[in-house]
Amino acid sequence: MGKKELKVAFLLALRSLQRGSRSSTILTVLIIGMCFTNMIFLPSMFSGIGQGITKQLVDYETSNVLISPKAGDQYITDLDATLDLINGMPGVQRASPQYSKGATFKYRQRVLGVSVRAISPSDEKEVSPVYTKMVAGSYLGEGDTGEIIIGKPMAGDATVRQEDEFQASLGGVRVGDSITVEYGNGYTKDYRVKGIYYTGWSPVDNAAFVTRTDMEQVEGKALDKADYITVRAKPGYTEQFIKNELLAYGVGENGKVQTMTDLLSKSVGKVLQSFAIINMVSLIVSVIITTVVLFIVITIKTLSSRKQIGILKAIGVDKEVIMHNYGFQVMILGILGIILGIVITLVLAAYMMVHPIVTPEWSAYLYITPWDLVINSVILFCAAVVAGYVPAYQVSREDIQSAMRA
Amino acid sequence: MIEITDLQRIYHMGTVEVRALDGVTLDIEKGEFVGIMGASGSGKTTLLHMVGLLDRPTSGRITIDGLDVLRLTDYEKTMFRLYKLGYVFQDYALVPDLTVMENVSLPAMLRKDRSEEQVKKDSSEILQRTGLYDRRDHLPRELSGGQQQRVSIARAMVNKPDILFADEPCANLDSENSRMVLDLFHEINEELKQTIIMVSHEDWHKDYFHRIVRLKDGKVTSDEKNLSAH
Repeated sequence: MGKKELKVAFLLALRSLQRGSRSSTILTVLIIGMCFTNMIFLPSMFSGIGQGITKQLVDYETSNVLISPKAGDQYITDLDATLDLINGMPGVQRASPQYSKGATFKYRQRVLGVSVRAISPSDEKEVSPVYTKMVAGSYLGEGDTGEIIIGKPMAGDATVRQEDEFQASLGGVRVGDSITVEYGNGYTKDYRVKGIYYTGWSPVDNAAFVTRTDMEQVEGKALDKADYITVRAKPGYTEQFIKNELLAYGVGENGKVQTMTDLLSKSVGKVLQSFAIINMVSLIVSVIITTVVLFIVITIKTLSSRKQIGILKAIGVDKEVIMHNYGFQVMILGILGIILGIVITLVLAAYMMVHPIVTPEWSAYLYITPWDLVINSVILFCAAVVAGYVPAYQVSREDIQSAMRA
Repeated sequence: MIEITDLQRIYHMGTVEVRALDGVTLDIEKGEFVGIMGASGSGKTTLLHMVGLLDRPTSGRITIDGLDVLRLTDYEKTMFRLYKLGYVFQDYALVPDLTVMENVSLPAMLRKDRSEEQVKKDSSEILQRTGLYDRRDHLPRELSGGQQQRVSIARAMVNKPDILFADEPCANLDSENSRMVLDLFHEINEELKQTIIMVSHEDWHKDYFHRIVRLKDGKVTSDEKNLSAH
């Protein structure tokens, strides 16, 4: 197959698409475009959910590295010395300890069970972006006592009746209101609500924060322990580097050191695995649909052009040229369909970036990498070529007489 | 020179055996304008297709310029048709999505011994000769039947073939266009000494043929020179 033959095959293909049935061409391109969108939409959505969950986990739960009590221990002890050690390590932005205590909140006639998290606000600001999510009032200040910040879903809405609430709340707490908190150890205290935040991450939005200074009053002693410590890495440092450093400095003897990836592989890993199976099914279905559609389109094209194929062979056009003519047609249709699919996908991605799907647990947008676009384009293109060449191969081998009699 | 020896083509339609060609033996000299005539079903088109390498006979032998063409492979036959033979069909058989110029250029574009410039030059020349150069950018559907057939002739002639086959080229044309087409064949034959084998069932066409071969039931019933040809 020489350059001249390929040139003639391409000319025949191009002219057939340019001057043949426009509606058929447009419809075929549209179907390929839709198949491409279908191939990439669901996996990107799941990737977006995965990315969203991961980001929220990092921001509000684990940060880059999480230090939790060793097996058999309830708390990380000798906290001050441990924090001094970690904060002095290279690559560590900040370590923030959290200590939680179960409590019952009372506001007017409402009663709600809540976990109160004691934090050091200046440390926590460097590790978690909750302080940027204030919807009313302000964040805790270092050394604040008698002041509390609560999540918006917990604060509730005064206009919604209790029986109509999606989840239990305090029925419309506002900044400056006073709420009574009864801790599990029997200590009761009235707090002024300093701020209300909303992060979109349910476990945090249904918790409340006080300062460690305040919690020391609740405990009645200095608080030299924590449920866990979250460690934020400086930009440019990997979480694995931080983990290795922590272990090298002996932090592992005082607590269990895990990177966010270690934790994800256990918790979200199974969810992502399920997503991967759904993605694979979606991909296979889309590829099959595209292959079948193109096979039908090219089969119809070849069958309705049998006489012409016979004539072309009669005047000395080789069967390879005829076959590549249909091959080129399907390649052009495939490329146009893929371009259309990419445009549709990017428009959807842009739309969902502005209007993500939001649930109480997570928010989802389309997470698409250039690599996703390339891989899906190549898969679809290959499927299209196979679908086009099979009928073209069959019809190009038909003898001239049978073809011309068609 | 074409030598056809004891050519047979038998079709099997269920249990019925149809002898479309039954022992045809014929020699055609270079430069002859031969008319193959006969009633419908006499085997004219079958003979043309055999000699034109569009179909394979059941038995017999065909040599063109000494070459046993029936021994060629499929690819060699395709190349033989491209380089040595030209065809004009009853229904013009133009590619509907190509312009007049593209239709005519198509066989020339495939030849390895033709440059792009040569293809353009040859196509333009043959279109001028057939009076269709002004219509070179039109699509076949924008032309009349007579014009389409002249495009078909131009396409057949662009590679300057040794033999031109025409299968009832005037069947779909009125008498004026038929005469125009036949005049064109006559001109080509006279000026280029082109061998032309044409199938026809119209009796008045015989005036154009140098030689008339009549077929009936797959057999040659007469083979005579036409001294009164144009």
